[in-house]
Amino acid sequence: MNLKIADFFIGTFAGGLVALVVYLVLSTQPNMLIAMVLGGLIGMVLVLPLKILLMPFVGAFEVMIPLGIIGMGVGMTAGMLSAISGISGYVVIAWGNLAGCMVATIIYFANKRLVNQ
Amino acid sequence: MKTNNKSYDGVAKFFDFFRAGDMRRWGPDQRALFKNLKGRVLYIGIGTGQEIVNFPPGLDITAVDMSYAMLERSHARVQNYRGKIHRCQMDAQATAFQDNTFDTILTVCVLCSVNQPAICLKELKRVLKPDGELVMFEHVLSKNPVYALILKFMSHVTEYLEGTYLDRDTVGNAERAGFKIHSHKNVYLDIVKALIAKSA
Repeated sequence: MNLKIADFFIGTFAGGLVALVVYLVLSTQPNMLIAMVLGGLIGMVLVLPLKILLMPFVGAFEVMIPLGIIGMGVGMTAGMLSAISGISGYVVIAWGNLAGCMVATIIYFANKRLVNQ
Repeated sequence: MKTNNKSYDGVAKFFDFFRAGDMRRWGPDQRALFKNLKGRVLYIGIGTGQEIVNFPPGLDITAVDMSYAMLERSHARVQNYRGKIHRCQMDAQATAFQDNTFDTILTVCVLCSVNQPAICLKELKRVLKPDGELVMFEHVLSKNPVYALILKFMSHVTEYLEGTYLDRDTVGNAERAGFKIHSHKNVYLDIVKALIAKSA
């Protein structure tokens, strides 16, 4: 598979995975601030083994940077969403997928700009 | 750390596997950069020789590495190269070469690993001819604060695993060692760079 296309799949998958785990752990947490902080921490810890697992296949930095942003960013926002009563797990996971894909897209264009400088 | 014998002897077995993704990404950029190799070439940190496949044919290369296990694993790639590669086990921070010996010096992801990058670069300047070129394919600390934070965090992990630092200011170190950067190309974000430097 083209590695540039793989970057988008990895971003989307990692975002969904972080959101899923954060939702499963924090869906009973009523305090949004605590959920946000814990979500960020869970995300950061979760993406670490994922980075090490993916690096040999798709490149170290191309995994490290997006997953670093996704881990904390998606973790925090998914934590906040999980703390809101009435929001289903599917919505949180969908947000994670979308945010992961957005991060991959932003990095794709940032890289294009810097490489063409 | 391709120039730290203890840790790199340990990771030599897995080195090709860990670097496979990077090699897939960097092939075209390395081939473009390596066109600048000419004359008598010193290749610092040959490792398992993964980059040899991207070298133009017909070069006269002296390749050094601190790790004997790495040098052993580079054997097949060295044999397959259509040119001359002579390998030595040597510390890049204190080589056995005379002053002004080489026309070109190549480093590929080495200055992130040596214990003292400034000392290493001064040593490279010593063995490089005054009109020679230092060709570097290196990763550095990003100027973007978000990327830099991630690299600094991950640097603790990579330092523990194999002695590689992700937060080095290689461009600044080269300039402080007396080099002037003549060509500067970003390969991935502002982290992985293809650089050509000359003595200032």
